[in-house]
Amino acid sequence: MTTMATPLIQGEKTFSITPEELDRKELWTAMGYKDAEPEGEICKTVESLVDRLVPAARIRYTWRILEAEKISPRQIVAGGVTFAPEGIICSYLKGMTHVCMYIATAGREFDMAVKELNAEGDVFKDFIADSIGTTLAELAVSRLGADLEALVDGPDNEELLKDGLQKSGVSMSYSPGYCDWNLREQRLFFSLFPEEPCGVTLTESCLMQPEKSVSGFFALGKELKRQPYHCDICRNKNCFRRRLR
Amino acid sequence: MSELKEAIYKGNMIKAKAEVQAALDGGADPQQIIDESMIPAMEAIGKDFAEGRAFVPNLLLSARAMKACLEILKPLMMAENSTILGTVVIGTVKGDLHDIGKNLVAAMLEGRGFKVVNLGADVSKERFIEAARENNADIICLSALLTTTMGYMKEIVDAVREAGLSVKIMVGGAPLNAEYAASIGADGYSSNANEAVALAKSLMGA
Repeated sequence: MTTMATPLIQGEKTFSITPEELDRKELWTAMGYKDAEPEGEICKTVESLVDRLVPAARIRYTWRILEAEKISPRQIVAGGVTFAPEGIICSYLKGMTHVCMYIATAGREFDMAVKELNAEGDVFKDFIADSIGTTLAELAVSRLGADLEALVDGPDNEELLKDGLQKSGVSMSYSPGYCDWNLREQRLFFSLFPEEPCGVTLTESCLMQPEKSVSGFFALGKELKRQPYHCDICRNKNCFRRRLR
Repeated sequence: MSELKEAIYKGNMIKAKAEVQAALDGGADPQQIIDESMIPAMEAIGKDFAEGRAFVPNLLLSARAMKACLEILKPLMMAENSTILGTVVIGTVKGDLHDIGKNLVAAMLEGRGFKVVNLGADVSKERFIEAARENNADIICLSALLTTTMGYMKEIVDAVREAGLSVKIMVGGAPLNAEYAASIGADGYSSNANEAVALAKSLMGA
């Protein structure tokens, strides 16, 4: 049994947002609208479901910064664990010295509220609720990204200074299951966290529960330069992230 | 009847039902209502979706209105089967709990006149076979959203073939593509709910 690596620095946050704070453009994107907006009747239902579901959500994320190193064009070691995020992700990691591993979730409370809605048997509403959940989970990731940037760009932090992370570059977020990264590595990922981080569990098939949860990492490094996602070099032509671009 | 077509196209279920009732009261033939207004409305919204002028919620609203209208018309048809394009057994495969995409496909299929037996999520090959037999299914529709569960689709396809069922199998889900579908012996693949309807119809020879 491996010993869990001690993170350089770690944190956890729980927060709620009001229905007004939910970014409608993000929500519409999750619903497939790209640059368009839903029309009146659809908007009405969206707003009533936002009012119903968003206040129920207790959004959470937990994170830990660990030393990391790219050991091959396809592999990295983080916190003593070897991952194979494959070539696409590894090509973005030049200059990486650390990673911020995280697990974020829209939370069990949201999940339960959606299950109650699902019992009503209206697939139109279920679809909107699903999109709200996606937006909330992505909001957690973007809040963590902002916190991380504030941390490395903020006032001197002893731990960050010691490891040379002050004013580090912060990458985009990468997750198992995307950009060719085998979803089964989710299990390795969870081994870096205490049991049920933020109340999130993994099924045998590496599905996170609650469903609206995200795991991933941001790479950090003084020499690291953030690069946009290059969906054109990925073999997965059906990835939903590509469809949303 | 153009009012009915527009109501279904716009997903206005209440108006659509009222228009169906008005058409019936005026002596219209149920099959004629379906053929001349309802199906063209669904074809129009499907075409607009395929061409980027309509979105998933539009499809769902139209399918919901269509289904509600069919519920009014079915009892009036000479034989229930005359309104049914075919029977589909649908489910998300074992190990996978994602429901929403599969439910969109189910709603669209129902809206276009298929009888749909929705088995839910985390469905074993035995359950698919049992449900296909019980319902005399024409099509089994498999969904998976995880790379870790899509492999189970092949087990299902093999088991269905081994069981000797005369049934078409179509697959869908984010990590899949047409090549994968062909490699596991499925009869077809669709990347969205709208395409799934067209595929199901073509598999039925409709």
